[in-house]
Amino acid sequence: MKNVLEWLEASAAKNPQKPAFIGDKEITFEQVMTWAKTIGTTLAQMEGDAPVAVFSARSATTPALFAGIVYSGRAYAPIDATLPQKRIQKILTNLNPSLILVDQESHARFLKLASEIFEDRMPAIVKVDFDELTITKQDETIVSLDASNIDATALDQIREQMVVTDPLYIIYTSGSSGNPKGVMTSHESLMTYINAYCKVMQIEEQDCLGNQSPLDYIAAIRDIYIPFKTGCQTAIIPKEYFMEPNMLFEYMNEKHVTSVGWSVSALTVPLSLGAFEEVKLTSLNKVCFSGSVMPCSALRVWQENLPDARFVNQYGPTEATASCTYYVVDHRVTDDEVLPIGKAYENYRVFLLDENNQKADRGEICVSGPILALGYYNDPERTEKSFVNNPTNHAYPERIYRTGDIGSLDENGILHFHGRMDRQIKHMGHRVELDEVECAANAIEGISESACLYNKPKEVLVLFYCGDLEKKGLSLALRETIPGFMVPRKLIKMDALPKLPNGKIDLKKLEGEM
Amino acid sequence: MSTREQLMEILEELRPDIDFENEQALIDDHIMESFDVVALVSSLADEFDITVRPKDLLPKNFNNVDAMVELIERLMEE
Repeated sequence: MKNVLEWLEASAAKNPQKPAFIGDKEITFEQVMTWAKTIGTTLAQMEGDAPVAVFSARSATTPALFAGIVYSGRAYAPIDATLPQKRIQKILTNLNPSLILVDQESHARFLKLASEIFEDRMPAIVKVDFDELTITKQDETIVSLDASNIDATALDQIREQMVVTDPLYIIYTSGSSGNPKGVMTSHESLMTYINAYCKVMQIEEQDCLGNQSPLDYIAAIRDIYIPFKTGCQTAIIPKEYFMEPNMLFEYMNEKHVTSVGWSVSALTVPLSLGAFEEVKLTSLNKVCFSGSVMPCSALRVWQENLPDARFVNQYGPTEATASCTYYVVDHRVTDDEVLPIGKAYENYRVFLLDENNQKADRGEICVSGPILALGYYNDPERTEKSFVNNPTNHAYPERIYRTGDIGSLDENGILHFHGRMDRQIKHMGHRVELDEVECAANAIEGISESACLYNKPKEVLVLFYCGDLEKKGLSLALRETIPGFMVPRKLIKMDALPKLPNGKIDLKKLEGEM
Repeated sequence: MSTREQLMEILEELRPDIDFENEQALIDDHIMESFDVVALVSSLADEFDITVRPKDLLPKNFNNVDAMVELIERLMEE
């Protein structure tokens, strides 16, 4: 296997009429493949081979858009059209696409954005309408989304030239300088991860995955590509159900969801809203959680309610294809326990380096192997800083990724997590650089200084600031530049921020004032 | 302070960018996010000494301020 499309083609040949993605619509394996090939044929006729930006809804049809771009021989970069305009602008500046693909739902919103973002150099825009089943090209020609518009010879030629290390996608994540980083990942990395995950989670053809994350987010790669590989199905659960546990559980039971890979907060939030009190889960039996440290008081409740389910704690960054290690929870947990992050997935090498760059039992968690991202797109400086040559290997080039996380190995070779080396935090499943929030605040007129802290027990970002701007004005201005989840829900205006003797802001003192 | 005024204070602090007086579909139009609902439910518990149960977590109870006031007052009587 050298390409994810081979997985899709095998599953479509085996079960063409089985729905692969269900949610707002039901899309069969054959439809995903046929639509993707038609989109691929159309895009292949257009110039350039640079990555394609995609603006699409959280819909069962979106995987066909991604696969369509892959058929054309390019990588895709999914972008959430509801992000603030300034952030989309930063992403598009980095990506500099010559081609943008939009679906019918995002089209109007995107056109409005595009007229403000691109002045003279407007990229080609291709619209795919899954209601009308048409593709509308830049010059207004319309191609219908059916098998008669597939050029099999052209697609075969493209495939022949592709290699397993070709880029598959670029996913943007928070960067401390205020500019998002585009993590670029190959087919090989994705397939290595999906193979390893399916083995650990014991996913088979009859499973149904419950998708929680937005489709442009790293966690969604499981929900998109596991059906390709195993022939199983993914149900895209409406976002608002995560605020209404009864509706969430009833929906999952109705769709026979058997397996979920969710952020920790997707499991803890429904509990804080009374999940399991009135409605039980009847089909779920495999639960993987990741993104931040799982409070065992919450895991215990899940275990009591799903006594036969398999629970797996996953750890790892986007740069190592979503993951590094896993821990299968093999006992009933107690409230005060801290789960280990376990051991490396198959075909991953995970090790610790101390401050002298020597292998150690405690130190920075480092990872190498075929799951390493290709780098940050169009960003050699930050790529060189994070993806480095293994300092213990002087004989030949061996690229590793330094996660910036601290870990330790116990006597059984099991890895434990001890937090960050820098100021990155995990807030409701999202990676947030506190520096980035401060950068955004300091760039606003009327703000002289700011310090962002995280109140972990309450799961609230707090921003202390000085300046003329009132809270409301600051909140509004922040919402124009950074995503909603990064905007601090608590803003505290001060006459001056407390300082250390060296002139730096005294964060410890501010912690006491949260 | 009336229930409504107290609620408005909580909402203003939570999301100063939203025009709570005029919005009628806070949940249905995805104006409030899940983080907001979670934070709001815990504030309501502290401020009004009420417990919002899963069966009350319906969009119609949170779509606008009037509906929220009605829910809070009903739960306070229970």
